[in-house]
Amino acid sequence: LCSCPPPHPKWKQVTLGHIPPPFPTLLLAPHHGRSWGEDTGRRPRFPSCHLSLLPGSATIPSLKHRLQRNVAAMAWKPLCASILAVACQSCVLVWHLDPTSLSTRPSSGCAQVLSYPGHSPVTSLAWAPSGELLLSASPVDTTMLVWDVSTENCVQLQWFGGGGVTYLAWSPDGSKVLAATPSAVFRVWEAQMWTCEWWPTMKGRCQTGCWSPDGSRLLFTVLGESVIYSLSFSEYRGEMQGQVGGSKTASIVADLSETTFETLYGEERVGGEAHSMVWDPTGERLAVIIRGNVAPWLCCNCSFFLFSSSGFLRGECGAQPQLIAFHPSFKKGALLTVVSWLDSMLFEVFSSPDGSGIL
Amino acid sequence: MSLVTLVISIFNAEFYAVVPSIPCSRLALIGKIIHPRQVIHSVVHAIMGMLVAWCTAVMTKGKFQFLAVSCTTSESLDDALPQMCLNEYHLFFLLSGAFMGYSYSLLYLINNMNYLPFPVIQQYKYLRFRRSLLLLIKHSCVESLYFVRNFCVAYYFFGYIPKVWISTTMNLHLDSELHPLDSLTGLLDISLFYHAWLCGVFLLITWYIAWLLFKIHATETHHFPVQPTFAEETDQCLPKILNSNPPLIIKFLALQDLMLLSQYSPVRRQEVFSLSQPGGHPHNWTAISRECLSLLSDLTQRLIAQQEAAAANGRVKQPAGELKVSPQTPGASNIIPRASMSSLVKPSLTPLKTLSGSDVGSPLSSPSLNCKMGILGVNSPWHVSVQSPQVTRRGPKLWTSDSDLQMNGSHQKSSPVVSAARVGSEVVQPRFIYTWLQNKQEQIKNFLAKRVLIMYFFSKHPEASIQAVFSDAQMHIWALEGLSHLVAASFTEDQFGVVQTTLPAILNTLLTLQEVVDRYFKLPHVSSKPPRISGSLVDTSYKTLRFALRASLKTALYRITTVFGEHLNAVQVSTEHKKRLQQFLEYKE
Repeated sequence: LCSCPPPHPKWKQVTLGHIPPPFPTLLLAPHHGRSWGEDTGRRPRFPSCHLSLLPGSATIPSLKHRLQRNVAAMAWKPLCASILAVACQSCVLVWHLDPTSLSTRPSSGCAQVLSYPGHSPVTSLAWAPSGELLLSASPVDTTMLVWDVSTENCVQLQWFGGGGVTYLAWSPDGSKVLAATPSAVFRVWEAQMWTCEWWPTMKGRCQTGCWSPDGSRLLFTVLGESVIYSLSFSEYRGEMQGQVGGSKTASIVADLSETTFETLYGEERVGGEAHSMVWDPTGERLAVIIRGNVAPWLCCNCSFFLFSSSGFLRGECGAQPQLIAFHPSFKKGALLTVVSWLDSMLFEVFSSPDGSGIL
Repeated sequence: MSLVTLVISIFNAEFYAVVPSIPCSRLALIGKIIHPRQVIHSVVHAIMGMLVAWCTAVMTKGKFQFLAVSCTTSESLDDALPQMCLNEYHLFFLLSGAFMGYSYSLLYLINNMNYLPFPVIQQYKYLRFRRSLLLLIKHSCVESLYFVRNFCVAYYFFGYIPKVWISTTMNLHLDSELHPLDSLTGLLDISLFYHAWLCGVFLLITWYIAWLLFKIHATETHHFPVQPTFAEETDQCLPKILNSNPPLIIKFLALQDLMLLSQYSPVRRQEVFSLSQPGGHPHNWTAISRECLSLLSDLTQRLIAQQEAAAANGRVKQPAGELKVSPQTPGASNIIPRASMSSLVKPSLTPLKTLSGSDVGSPLSSPSLNCKMGILGVNSPWHVSVQSPQVTRRGPKLWTSDSDLQMNGSHQKSSPVVSAARVGSEVVQPRFIYTWLQNKQEQIKNFLAKRVLIMYFFSKHPEASIQAVFSDAQMHIWALEGLSHLVAASFTEDQFGVVQTTLPAILNTLLTLQEVVDRYFKLPHVSSKPPRISGSLVDTSYKTLRFALRASLKTALYRITTVFGEHLNAVQVSTEHKKRLQQFLEYKE
């Protein structure tokens, strides 16, 4: 156990002032590590995002658009330095930003509006890792849209049963997409011929999931259970196969139920349901937010799938971690960034280089 | 009925095109409509429409069934034979069928429905069909409504012609008891409307389904072998097809297959990177990369030529220092205004309208084409500026289609830039006659340019001209994706290093193309998106191909730089390109 490490010298502290307690979203831009927070705009006059750029630039652009209400998700386009997709109430906004510009208020002409009748509110977005397609999904629409952003064409993928989509995750090798629904079923689509397979869960809906870097393993958690399941997929070979290739059952790889630890400071109770999970790009580390605590787990990506906990991260008293992300291309191990939410409504961003072995 | 469907399908197969032909001016559009091929298309469709209407009329029975029925007059004289009267309802049906057939054919032409768009994502054919079916049915219903309405108007005015003609040729009498249909009371018949609409829906649904099935099957991916295993297959293997000059659709399918294999198929990628036995030459990779690079350099050249034409169009004939007030004539592409024209100027009455690509539906919109020609100084050839209220919104003068570029070269004799090119090849005396002819031509053109009606037909629409430049950009997009995926994959999969030797050439081509595309996008109207109509059966993706090209070019460069990283510094490229690559590496582009 350790208390929160000092802020990484490369990051600015981002404060957003008084903001109503919505769900802040954090993303790491590819390679650069730009981060920003936003508010989901319960008050329509603040539907803005604030970007903080790397050291050296003092400008924090803010993105405002009249259609940018109730932002629920944002995603940077991979293999690109300037395109950001924002999921709003009635549409998807795609911002084209100039990474070298000093303007603090990009005009709304920089935003492309992708809308489709009946597809709102849009709550999840996922870019294809090869950068060409954008998936958008809504929990009340049984159609998932595959957008070709530059031509603004979309293809509707429809299925029957299960409601809309609450969570989307594209595997890093570009072969499969996880789509969790509000009911006790989740689907995995393969991204070549766009066919899908579905798995029923026992108790509740699939809360969160993440893919291994080669797309062969899916870890997911279910609402109401404090375990992590793993589903394996057959090796991706050839083309036009149109098969997802998932195994029939998922196995439990980690049990996150509450336990007590003896520490220097007394007893600590840790455990519970996993709130969100991320897997680092090398496949060696998995970070899980468990009901208020962050627990980086060490795991090996070999055929013997070992899973062992390497420690816990805890923030300041009262801080609740909301978002975690690994740096996409950190060369010295893994760089984890945690955005946590303090009661006094201030943001604090800190990151800890994992290689040093403090944990 | 099956005969009809067969004929329609034959026409679909004959008329398809993978590259849409975009008419750049109204005259070109009219030319397209009256082209004999199109006329045959329309006539046959009209006949087919009539046949279908006849089938449905017969099937309906009731009052539509026969062309001639016995008259209802009861007070006629006591004839031995009952008189035969023309059943106007039947005639109405047949004619509406013909009209619908003709309108279908016209819309087919205008909406470029012969264009085969390749799908954004690959899906099984049945799923694609099922996905489009609902939209197709909805579209047919709505369109049939429009057709029936238009036909009713046409019949109201012109219905008597066929009526009289048929009744005289077939010796039928016009029934005086019933209301003639070409009057308002006759036409306001709900059951007639309903039947005609239903017939139209049926006709359109069958024809659209035939068109959709053709589209889906023609754009299905085809697997081309990279390394031929049997001797008969040598002609079908991918490198060979790319290097020869096959019909355009085959080339498209081959490039699509290249794009897919580069992303999804490690086995076929190995074949691409393999060396030939016994020579040890990387034939496959050389052929593929050479073809892709030549496609891309072709596009680069084309864009450069367009930019130079745009620049030359804006150049002054005699570099005059002062600004001349332009006449009201909108610009034509080949006209260089003479200095003497300034005396004919009137202040322009039409307001300056921006040539935004804001027309929906048809490719040409009427009012916004009126633009003024400006005579600006040489230093700002394509800068859209409004110098004074009367002057200079640079108009469609900038826009030339490809065919004009060849003509342009021979017409601009007065521009010192272009004339230098022609000097060498001409002898003195023919040149005198030639220049005299050119003078006369220019005088005629200037005279005609003042006639607004002529200009209405001849002026080039900028948005359409831009789309025409990029009409086959789908090939280039696939070439970019295939090439960049292969290069990215070669970082780990290329055992013999065949890609490394071509890496400088690839990077050079890509970076040059990106420069040229960025410059092209600074021209007016290029970066404005045409409005998108969602939920329409007609595919307009060819209108936004330039944006897809620009995006995939950037992504291709990022893909290569991300995979290779710092190793790119060891590749031999010019310093200018090295600087740009560094920008890509730092994610600053």
